Amino acid sequence: MIEVKDLRKQFGKVTALDGLSFSAPEGQITGLLGPNGAGKTTCLRTIYGLLKPDSGQAFIDGIDAGQQPLEARRNIGIFPDKFGLYERLTAREQVAYFAALHGLAGEAGDQATEAALQRLDMLEIADRRATGFSQGQRMKVALAQAIVHSPKHLILDEPSRGLDVMSTRILRDLLRELRAQGTSILFSSHVMQEVAALCDQVVVVAKGKVAAQGTTQELCELTGETALEEAFVKIIGTDEGIAA
Amino acid sequence: MTNPVKIVWRKELRDAIRDKRSVMAAMSYAFFGPLLMAVAFYVMISQLTDPSDVEIDIQGAEHAPALIEHLNSNGIVKREKAWAAGQQPITLEIDASWADDLAMAMPAKVTLTADFSATKQRGDINRIERAIEAYGSQIAYIRLQMRGLDPRVVKPIDLVKHDTATKGSRAAILMGSVLIFILLSVFFSGMNVAIDISAGERERNSLELLLSQPLNAHQLVLGKALAASCFAIFGGVLSVVLIPIIFRFLPLHNIGISLSLDWTMMVLIVLMLVPLALFATSLQLFVSFRAKSFKEAQTYISFLLMLPMLAVFGVEFARLKNPVLYYLPLTGQHQALLDIIKGESLHWLPMGISALATLLVSWLLIRFIGRMLASEKVVFGL
Repeated sequence: MIEVKDLRKQFGKVTALDGLSFSAPEGQITGLLGPNGAGKTTCLRTIYGLLKPDSGQAFIDGIDAGQQPLEARRNIGIFPDKFGLYERLTAREQVAYFAALHGLAGEAGDQATEAALQRLDMLEIADRRATGFSQGQRMKVALAQAIVHSPKHLILDEPSRGLDVMSTRILRDLLRELRAQGTSILFSSHVMQEVAALCDQVVVVAKGKVAAQGTTQELCELTGETALEEAFVKIIGTDEGIAA
Repeated sequence: MTNPVKIVWRKELRDAIRDKRSVMAAMSYAFFGPLLMAVAFYVMISQLTDPSDVEIDIQGAEHAPALIEHLNSNGIVKREKAWAAGQQPITLEIDASWADDLAMAMPAKVTLTADFSATKQRGDINRIERAIEAYGSQIAYIRLQMRGLDPRVVKPIDLVKHDTATKGSRAAILMGSVLIFILLSVFFSGMNVAIDISAGERERNSLELLLSQPLNAHQLVLGKALAASCFAIFGGVLSVVLIPIIFRFLPLHNIGISLSLDWTMMVLIVLMLVPLALFATSLQLFVSFRAKSFKEAQTYISFLLMLPMLAVFGVEFARLKNPVLYYLPLTGQHQALLDIIKGESLHWLPMGISALATLLVSWLLIRFIGRMLASEKVVFGL
């Protein structure tokens, strides 16, 4: 379970996180939905232990990411906001590198790598160098890197950005599969349809705090709207109204 | 194999070896550098030991055929061609009263007109002066003998000149540049890899993900530094091996130097380069992890390359002889290399201490870069 408690983070005069709290339980896909600049990426970076919050904590299975970042990172797979591949390495080598960084070396590393490649149906491109990979193939490599050590938590930052239909389908299928296996999945997005189609739980973030939380259904009921998009606009809008 | 440093090192090394640009960068310095240096030295040596004739304007040659004969036999001849642009003419003018003066035993006037500050013509002018003086003394000896005197009476002192000054200083310059070249090879050869695995990693957007993996930032930096150091050492070994081979084809003996390195010395030099390579790459990583892009890092690093050059040239030209130099990173290796090449006895303790000091400074730098990467300001440029 990923738990975020009262996170606050200030960058100069800008308040990025303003008392953000939510949790992403096992076997569920939790969507972090918010407009650009709402603090989604800052929040995720705090969970990886890359950013130190001014106050508040992020827990991965009870491990404080601020105190024990290495321990916390061992249990998460990350699909980052921007992913760069090592152009001169083959897909297999890149995935194996990340497996090794997670302590899976030698035989175990090879097996884990093979399994991840197989799962994403990318054995055909496994031994090709990344130069010339399509966007979809690149995404697959990044995904394989994230899941190669079978993490109990998977965090994805805007995963569907720039993907074609096929890639998006592969991504969705994988996430559903992992959910069925009890992985807690947290993903940030500003795409409504994506969130509506996938998430068990939606956390709407605006201006660094939780504006609303619940299932798609609940959010719609809360706002009296029928579509999530309308509900979303209403939630954000209302929030802005209050803040002003 | 689960040591993160080793994992990072292996991956970066594999990545770098596949990078043609990095390999070329490491090799080209080691290959073309000594070649270029050899060509420069070849030109220098042939200028120094130039046996060709000195061609000058001679006026009034008809007055003193014997002198002209003497000059010709010393390689000083009348010029047929015009002087090249930018070259000051050297003119020797023999007075019309030459024969009369000689007959009367009066000093005969010969005028040498030249730009005596032109360094290029210095050698030529000296040759002319020496030839004329030699002719003069010949005549003086003959005159004395004819008057029944032993010519030696006018030469109370026999000053034997062993002209080692010019050759010695030339040799020092040559050796100095060979040394600087070897020292710099570790700075040049790992440079491209160092930039690629730091600023390049950031530019590819893979740095953030890498830092989110379960390993300490300083383990990551150490793995990367070791990979770049391997390239630096590779370049160092290449130049240490190639320099003696290439220099074998130079007529170094003509200017009285010999550059011979037996293999134990070569191994010793390479061993000394190892800590220096780590030092060089940690410095480069320190600079280029702060850069936003490959290009930016290249700009910074070219400034950084000035540092070893300044240190080494500074010591060379200021003729610093402080014993502290033996113990410091970079200057310590430089002093030890000087001793090796000059064939002097080696100071093992200072060599060891400077190696340790170099390793320590590199380690501190790596720790510092690690801390830098843990800082959100550096990583995200916040």
